[in-house]
Amino acid sequence: MLSSFLTFLLLGILISGIYALFAIGLTLLFGVMDIVNVAHGELFTIGGYLAFLGVALLVLHPVLALGGVIVGSLAIGLGVYFLAIRPLHNRLGRRPKAPVYLVLTLGLSILLQNIMLAIAGGNYKIVPSFVLGTSNFFNLVFVSRYRVVVFFTAMAVISALFLFLKYTKTGLSIRAVKDNPAAAQAIGIRVDHVYMITFGLVGILSGISGALLTPIYRVFPTVGALLTIKAFAIVILGGMGNLFGALIGSFVIGISESLAVMFISSDWKDLVAFAIMILILIIRPSGILEGE
Amino acid sequence: MKKRRGKGIFVIATGIVLFIIPLVFPHPYLLDTLILGFMFAILAASWDLLSGYTGQLSFGHAGFLALGAYCAALLTGKLSFSPWLGLLGGGVFTGLIGTMIGIPVLRVRGHYLAIVTLGFSEVIRVTAINWLSLTRGPYGFHEYTTFPGFPADPALAKPYFYYTAFGLLAVCGTVMYFICEHTQVGRAFKSIREDQTLAEALGINTTLYKVLGFSLSCFFAGIAGGFYAYYIRLVSPFVAEAINTVWAVGMVIFGGLGTLIGPIYGAIVLYGIYQAMRFVGVVYNLIAVGAVILIFVTYFPKGIWGVWERVSAE
Repeated sequence: MLSSFLTFLLLGILISGIYALFAIGLTLLFGVMDIVNVAHGELFTIGGYLAFLGVALLVLHPVLALGGVIVGSLAIGLGVYFLAIRPLHNRLGRRPKAPVYLVLTLGLSILLQNIMLAIAGGNYKIVPSFVLGTSNFFNLVFVSRYRVVVFFTAMAVISALFLFLKYTKTGLSIRAVKDNPAAAQAIGIRVDHVYMITFGLVGILSGISGALLTPIYRVFPTVGALLTIKAFAIVILGGMGNLFGALIGSFVIGISESLAVMFISSDWKDLVAFAIMILILIIRPSGILEGE
Repeated sequence: MKKRRGKGIFVIATGIVLFIIPLVFPHPYLLDTLILGFMFAILAASWDLLSGYTGQLSFGHAGFLALGAYCAALLTGKLSFSPWLGLLGGGVFTGLIGTMIGIPVLRVRGHYLAIVTLGFSEVIRVTAINWLSLTRGPYGFHEYTTFPGFPADPALAKPYFYYTAFGLLAVCGTVMYFICEHTQVGRAFKSIREDQTLAEALGINTTLYKVLGFSLSCFFAGIAGGFYAYYIRLVSPFVAEAINTVWAVGMVIFGGLGTLIGPIYGAIVLYGIYQAMRFVGVVYNLIAVGAVILIFVTYFPKGIWGVWERVSAE
């Protein structure tokens, strides 16, 4: 009993790393640009397919493949910005009413999903894991070593992002635009430039999370859609636009989901995030940490 | 005034053409396309009533469609309700569920409704797949009868379903149009869409009207679902797939957000194009729907109805 409890707890913690990587991009996009990105899961899926392309089709070294994923998903992020968001800004101004972005990204989501379906087909694609074996904790808990590696990689990327936002000049201007776009523009920050960088960052974050998770989940065109809903639950839990809140929220959702399997059938596991989301909206809509 | 009369004549003329189609050209494929087109038109109009008029977005209309379909099918199949009552029951039940979700979510300002309904639609789908004893899971539920008096042969029954769908669309469309354009409620909806703070300052109970709009929208989505159940004779978790929400949204954006009539035309035209292009491949159709949404949101935010209005005004 204790052993299985600890195993589920650890599995929950390990998967939270990926959730965090994915959800932080979503909340960053909302904080900086007011965009609720319904197509976020598709950026994740593209990362998964890029990993499949690199590892399974081109047989690259995993680290090299991850580099390729970063470059590719950066390009996708920038592509989305220039092809979908920029034209909208040019026509309707930089801060159109919120529903516009929702509908736009919904369209983008279905567009990307079906382009992937047309190119790669609906079959599950398997990316072999490059770290084999299991990790043993105190002879009590055994988990696949790959999950441990993934967790630490995700945490490293998140730390790098936080350091980037805190200590670099670009990071500072992103935070300035996030807090007050008008004032940021008044002191000479190029807001369009910041938006572009934000989209690039978000593309990279989602791409890496997709690539890292693929050996565990496999990849198919709609793999990201379910994750989008979980990420929304995480982002609401942490307060929309709050990066640190999203990090905490990821652990709350990841661990509760994992532990829930001990009490309910795993068929219903995916509903846990939704239940938590509704609960938070009823008792504390601004999120557990209060919005920034 | 003259412009409005022109639109009225156009709508009536379309109605007459659609009314005589089964009499002059009763091809089953054409009728089937139009029947489902009418069903989607009710769904799209219900989405527009909420999103186009109050500015609150629902991304869960596939879920509500499925809820109405399952409810109607189960009422007839397990409790032997008449399908006409089942249709209404599906709508009322969906409306009630919508109200229950709407109250906690719409209290909060912001994008929460879209996010929560997106999740809720998935809840419906997962429930339909896993609650085997009630819904028969992935195989779908089909042990129920359809409207009494309709021929058993599907080909002969087509005209009957056609006029049922046509009548439902006419009634639902008129009711929704009347609510949105000719009542105090419709005016309150629009004031929330334009400026919620101002609406509150003017003493409008914005939460009440947002919840009312959402309940009405769910009610009509449920009616569309009920009709779907009796027409297709099989309700499966597929109905709750997010793609049906995308269809509804795409049809509204294509037809004209916040015009109610535009989305009805949008639905019939877009679904017609989709069926006509079936031989090209469904994947490309859906890519096209995504592209239509992207292009129309950016370049024609008022849809074809808005373009037509602008052209006729010049």
